[in-house]
Amino acid sequence: MSAIQLTSKTINGQSVAYLTFDLPNEKVNKLSTPVMLELRTHLENLKSSNHKMIVFQSAKPKIFIAGADIEEIKNLKTKEDVQNAVKNGQSIFNLIEDMPMPTMALINGACAGGGCELILACDYRIATEDSSTRIGLPETQLGILPGFGGCVRLPRVVGLQAALDVILAGKLLNAKKAHKIGLVDNVVHPNLLENFAVDQIGKILADGAQKRRKKFQPRGPVGKLLEGVLSGVVFKKAKDGVLKATKGHYPAPLAALEVIRKTHGSVDRERSLQIERDHFADCAVTDVSKNLIHVFYLTEMVKKQTGVANQSVKGKPVKHIGVLGAGTMGGGIAYVAADKGIDVRVKDISLDANAKALKHARDLWNKLAKKRVIDSYQFTQKMSLVSTTVDFSGFKNIDVTIEAIVEDMSIKKKVIAQTAAEMRPDAIVVTNTSSLSVTEMSAGHPRPENFAGMHFFSPVHKMPLVEVIRSPKSSDETIATVFELAKKMGKMPVVVKDGPGFLVNRLLLPYMAEAAFLLSEGMDIEKVDKSFVYEFGMPMGPFELMDSVGLDVCLKVLKIFKAAFPDRVEIPTLMEKLETNKSRLGQKSALGFYKYDEGGRKTEVDGAIYSELGLAAPTNPLTLQECTERCVFAMVNECALALDADRIVETPHEVDLAMIMGTGFPPFRGGLLKYADAVGAKYIADQLLKYSSERKANRLRPSVKLAERAASSLKFYN
Amino acid sequence: MSSSAKTARDVVIVDGVRTPFAKAGTKLKSVHAAQLGQVALRELIARTNLNVELVDEVIVGNTGSPSDAVNISRVVALNSGIPIKTSAVTVHRNCASALESISSGFERIKSGTMDIIVAGGTENMSQMPLIMPVAITSIIERLGSAKTSAAKISALWAWLMADLKQIKEMATTAPLAKTKYKPIIALADGLTDPFVGMNMGMTAEVIAKEFGITRREQDEYALKSHQKAIAAKAKIKEEMTPLYLPPDFNETLTDDIGPRDNQTMEALQKLKPFFDKVTGSITAGNSCPITDGAAMMLLMSREKAESLGYKPIARIRGYGYAGLEPERMGMGPAYSTPIALKRAGLSMKDMGRVELNEAFAAQVLANQKAFDSDDFGKKLGLPGKIGELRTEILNVNGGAIAYGHPVGATGTRLVLTLMKEMKRSQTQFGLATLCIGGGQGGSLIIENEG
Repeated sequence: MSAIQLTSKTINGQSVAYLTFDLPNEKVNKLSTPVMLELRTHLENLKSSNHKMIVFQSAKPKIFIAGADIEEIKNLKTKEDVQNAVKNGQSIFNLIEDMPMPTMALINGACAGGGCELILACDYRIATEDSSTRIGLPETQLGILPGFGGCVRLPRVVGLQAALDVILAGKLLNAKKAHKIGLVDNVVHPNLLENFAVDQIGKILADGAQKRRKKFQPRGPVGKLLEGVLSGVVFKKAKDGVLKATKGHYPAPLAALEVIRKTHGSVDRERSLQIERDHFADCAVTDVSKNLIHVFYLTEMVKKQTGVANQSVKGKPVKHIGVLGAGTMGGGIAYVAADKGIDVRVKDISLDANAKALKHARDLWNKLAKKRVIDSYQFTQKMSLVSTTVDFSGFKNIDVTIEAIVEDMSIKKKVIAQTAAEMRPDAIVVTNTSSLSVTEMSAGHPRPENFAGMHFFSPVHKMPLVEVIRSPKSSDETIATVFELAKKMGKMPVVVKDGPGFLVNRLLLPYMAEAAFLLSEGMDIEKVDKSFVYEFGMPMGPFELMDSVGLDVCLKVLKIFKAAFPDRVEIPTLMEKLETNKSRLGQKSALGFYKYDEGGRKTEVDGAIYSELGLAAPTNPLTLQECTERCVFAMVNECALALDADRIVETPHEVDLAMIMGTGFPPFRGGLLKYADAVGAKYIADQLLKYSSERKANRLRPSVKLAERAASSLKFYN
Repeated sequence: MSSSAKTARDVVIVDGVRTPFAKAGTKLKSVHAAQLGQVALRELIARTNLNVELVDEVIVGNTGSPSDAVNISRVVALNSGIPIKTSAVTVHRNCASALESISSGFERIKSGTMDIIVAGGTENMSQMPLIMPVAITSIIERLGSAKTSAAKISALWAWLMADLKQIKEMATTAPLAKTKYKPIIALADGLTDPFVGMNMGMTAEVIAKEFGITRREQDEYALKSHQKAIAAKAKIKEEMTPLYLPPDFNETLTDDIGPRDNQTMEALQKLKPFFDKVTGSITAGNSCPITDGAAMMLLMSREKAESLGYKPIARIRGYGYAGLEPERMGMGPAYSTPIALKRAGLSMKDMGRVELNEAFAAQVLANQKAFDSDDFGKKLGLPGKIGELRTEILNVNGGAIAYGHPVGATGTRLVLTLMKEMKRSQTQFGLATLCIGGGQGGSLIIENEG
């Protein structure tokens, strides 16, 4: 079966060829090697045909062409292989560009990467206004760059500035935006696409079937300068922007920028494409690219999962949710749910508390409204979805209630029992606890099969991860419902077994505690944090992280851990000392390791903290390598136990997804265990052993499970 | 007592809820009428755990018709989570618009056409607009259709001149006086009878004089309305839901802004007559204030309510509307009540509680006289008087003089207050009635089931 059908149509008495992409047995069209080969054959034949025009379209309902085959890119090992593959693609798109007759693309649905590069090689482009129509070049998100002529053709079509925006951020544009920057010529309703195109083709044929090489015309004198002699300014600004956003950890956007800088305005197509090809090949073989592709697959994996092994189990529909507790977490949960169209009823004990949740949500939507992401009607609609109560009125209509009240087992149990009594028997209650046992808590619910954990991360509207915590009594249906609800709320759910700290906090705790030890050993707070951000690539260093979690919360959870794992958890005395100062609770009290302004923004390290903790001025006796390794390897060490011994999650994939989505673990490293595999379990175990003896730190001794992997050289990913 | 057997097609009231009412220009001035309605309806849905999929229609009374929500019922419904498929209609019978929503719902259910109706009303009188007069809009139209720059400049010049004239008129004429260029005050127009051109306050003056209601009687009545409302504060809270004040939610409205605990005869007596400055007796103190607020109610057929496990608070026994001279519109209750009583098969003696809307103290007192007058009854073609309207059962928790009268919402508020009071006092029958600008009266009779 072929992926491209050739048909023809007579328009104004002249023959027009239609190439329709429809990859058999697949939901999407992609430009895999066989498809590209087929395309080449068609083009070679059409070149000398008597068709007066060629039209590219897709038969898939919501997809034009989703891009190249990522699996193929992933499997390319050497630069030569990459060069050859890219060169082949480039030559096929050159064929399109060089066709003697004009070409037109009819775009309905996703048109990304190679798909976008294909339409750039055409003379005319018409898109539909359907919400599925998204056009752009997301390659840099995967650690590569547009390689089929995208870096060369896009700046010519839409101008330098717009092209840099599209390529460097790797975001897709809707039809309206694409039309605005000149990437497509017309935008029409999907039902009109075919007839509108026929009309346009009729006009083009009547005008003598001219080829067109669209060239961007800058508006105004400033525009002309920036696209011309002052383009250096544009490149400089773009480079600064990329470096600020990526801290230098992501080479692809810089490479793309370099390609565009070298080829902008050049008339030598072959040379330009050669430059694009070279840089593409450099990027494609990097670990960063392989890791980003890995992360892409992790997110695709969640889309397909249901949260339970038994695929016949379906989640219950959720239209209305309840949220207990109108604090930061409750307000955040209400916001993300209502933002996705779910009706939310927030319950707290006072009107003032409820008002805070409304304000929290309103402020976030207000920001979107100001940025024109939503209009005033959407603002009103979303806002109207959040209602509040101080009693349980309306709870009979609620399908799932998310409890986000104070972290106290007996209060939670009592409230869960109360809530269950006010809801329908088939309704579900979940707890957003971060530190308490979901299993123990489930005893509060009269039907524990309808109870589970749903752990959001703060700030809820930013952090994509949700840990769905399964107690031994949670039913498959409950887990599937909560998993689906998390996805509906735009989150990435990972199902975890109950256990202290579940997955993410269990791994983060040793990491943060280790940083506290570094401080007591004479390290400088900012120096350590900066090294984690700029060298390792974390979104924030461990000290800032502790501030954002709350220093009191950190200690509380550490104590829970100590009780659970007395032989390997050591509470830094420094953390206990910190507890005595009740005004130093972290970001929430505007003072922690750092000082914070009224807006909660970090200003500087609080110099007074060293003397307050009885520490001398930092002398930085340890290497930054040791600092990083002790903290990160402590996580790996704990993870080996969580995964191999306790089976908190089933696969390394889930660990990495959770760490990236929940803590911002650097995606370019592919996740904690991808990183561990790259470094090697043996190296990690050796280093931990060394540090544990050098620093007399029993907590750093390699765990049984890490030692096993080190001894057998068994990778986490097999 | 004339209780009749319960039937499957009885129309029952499951519950109702309203927002706090606030004097116009105060806390609710920036909350859109649709949003007021939404707050009440969302709470009603929650309190009754209503499966919104089952609602047949939403009927909302409103008189201001905000230009950005002309069928405001639909806007309220959709923002309250009523499904897209469910129809919604706005009804307008001036001051009885919300009563109309209930009586319309009653007919739809009684006839067997529908089973579940949301009936209510919403009004934001603070937001009633100023309208550009034709003298100015015609210039703007000219500007819009101007083809040449000369024509455009000429129109712009005319507009500027008209604006200057407008400013001059505003500075030199009485605030409510209508002139060629001044903006038309929609609220003032709404409170002026379109047939006889008389302001509502002036119609009350007519009644006060005809029935010989003194200024002192009116002020005493007004004072009592406030006192009763203040005393009933806790009871009245039952019918209300708090309203978090947008945009910042720094404040939550939990009480009506209207009832005054410091109201005195001295203060009332000091006020100057507002409408008839020379011989008049109607003041801002013995009239209802202009007010913002919304109220919603859930109506069902008895069989549907029973099958869903609801225990209704009341059943609707009958209603009636009647017309009278526009300049005596305040007497409306005396015209519509006999009709409603007849349809319900009841008499005034059966009524345990009456809510008669206090548009003006004079009009309430005149109605009381009329109800008890054989002559008046005969004028209506009745064998004798309508029946005494005893002070002990009338507006026992105060009325619109204290709470205010958000025109499109009051009908629901009256029935809601009546129904909850009848439940508390365990009285069997009650009447809610109001006078209607334009010269009508509206009455609805309910039976306690709570």
